[in-house]
Amino acid sequence: MYKRATLRGFLVFLILAVLTASFLYPLYFMLINSLKTRTEYFVNPFALPREGLQLINYTTMISQFKILTLFKNTFIISTGTVILILLVGIFASYAFAKLRFKGKSVLFVAVLMTMFVPSQVTIIPLFVSFSKVGLVNSYLSVILAYLALFLPEAVLLLTANFRGILDEMVEAAEIDGCSYLQKIWYVIIPMGRAAIFLAIIFYFIMSWNDLFTPMIFLTKMEKRTVMVALASLMGRYSGSPTYQFAGLLLSAIPALIVYFIFQRNIIRGLSMGAIK
Amino acid sequence: MRLRNRRRRVYLQAFLSLLPLILILLVLRVYPIAVAIGKSFTNWDGLFQNDWIGLQNYVEFVNSGPFLMILRNTLILLLNVPLQVFIGLLVALLLYERVMGWKFFRSVVYTPQIISAVIIGYLFRIFFGFRGPVNIVLNAVGLERLAIEWFGNPLTALGVMVISIAWYGIGWQSIVMLGGMSSISHSVFEAAIIDGANYWQRAFKIVFPMIIRVIEFGVIASGVWTLTQLFPFLHSMTRGGPGYETTTLDYMIYLKSFGFSFGINFGMACSIAVILLFIILAFTLLEMRITNRAELGR
Repeated sequence: MYKRATLRGFLVFLILAVLTASFLYPLYFMLINSLKTRTEYFVNPFALPREGLQLINYTTMISQFKILTLFKNTFIISTGTVILILLVGIFASYAFAKLRFKGKSVLFVAVLMTMFVPSQVTIIPLFVSFSKVGLVNSYLSVILAYLALFLPEAVLLLTANFRGILDEMVEAAEIDGCSYLQKIWYVIIPMGRAAIFLAIIFYFIMSWNDLFTPMIFLTKMEKRTVMVALASLMGRYSGSPTYQFAGLLLSAIPALIVYFIFQRNIIRGLSMGAIK
Repeated sequence: MRLRNRRRRVYLQAFLSLLPLILILLVLRVYPIAVAIGKSFTNWDGLFQNDWIGLQNYVEFVNSGPFLMILRNTLILLLNVPLQVFIGLLVALLLYERVMGWKFFRSVVYTPQIISAVIIGYLFRIFFGFRGPVNIVLNAVGLERLAIEWFGNPLTALGVMVISIAWYGIGWQSIVMLGGMSSISHSVFEAAIIDGANYWQRAFKIVFPMIIRVIEFGVIASGVWTLTQLFPFLHSMTRGGPGYETTTLDYMIYLKSFGFSFGINFGMACSIAVILLFIILAFTLLEMRITNRAELGR
């Protein structure tokens, strides 16, 4: 019995290791080829770089791409989105989770109904309205679009989590003379921090990686986000894959770093919160 | 008296807490949806033309050549759903064994979800390029006949897309299913082992039935996702071309509104958006019934 179990364990380990390798290989492939010359890549894309590391691929991308400006733009949009989602989402979720009032379930369902409406449906009217009030080509246009797009899901996540906070905790805070804002600050936010943290990471990465919305709203070069610039850059360098690999890897790195620091929180949140 | 005051205070708190959310959703979601529906009956171009033309956009779109192509493409692309659910389930079953290093494997499997779909699209575009690594391998193992221009033919291009989308989705599926599996109590397993159930019997007779709702959720969520979120994949791999050969509904909205510098037809784009909206609505109602998410609000 024991022996069979370990053999099976070994087989499972082996299959998982092969699978994992297939998931990591593209990243490795991008890395080695982003450090080669063009000829080296076309001779053998699977070998390690032999003619020295071509850091010029990266320096070209950084200067051509103005990557620091792009990172700054994307960072402003992602951070702004996350802050506003929390500001609006925490209060709304508290009301859905802990307050008793008429029409709550109807309202909650109405909020959820907007969750799956794709951004393509609203983008044209939004674009026309935004250009009327001069919001096109501003960070705020993208932030507002994301806010509306992500809020229903964020409210679902936070409400599910806040409902798990004991009513006694909230009541005790009330008896201790906590005001409404103090209750949220001292009870709800600390107790719901796992979900709040998940929302921060998740929506930061979502806004960092998105292409569609910023592509429509930000047409000026100096306002573009990383993914928008990457999409136009890839066409320009279609003949030189080594530059492309450097560009792709550079734009993937920030989200990957965030993930590898916080992966435990993300995975725990996903396996708990996704299904009720 | 104090009770009534208290109730009034609760109502005031609820009102103020929900006001920003409701205002944002009304202004930035509900109003644009209403405008899109209204404008779908016009020949709106965003500037000068804005005449009521009834159902003409819908009729024209359904009778146009690209319509059947879009239908075909959508059906082919939906094949990624069974693929990613099936592989995701297998990966979840493997991870459930909790062998050495399973936490590491779990976080690696989820990695594609963190990489932007734009990057994944370009990566697959390069991998399946005519002189790309996939064709190099095919040539090296003597399968020259298979080393084709993958993006030259709509069917193989769609096939590459299905693979890339499945590759992207497997991690999400397996994490969600693993979450469903960990709610199965271990005593059930022990009882089954004592009764002499083997591994496959345990997988199919215990695990499978207990996470069937999770699987349903995975199928519907990734189905909706396929219908609405393919923009970065299409944009990086084929731009919907050649012609409309690899276009989907959501990409068509873009092509008809912002994609071309000529022939902008916001009215037509809005009517396609409304068609998409109703498809998604049907899916959402199904999804809500299955996961009972609506119960949270009670």
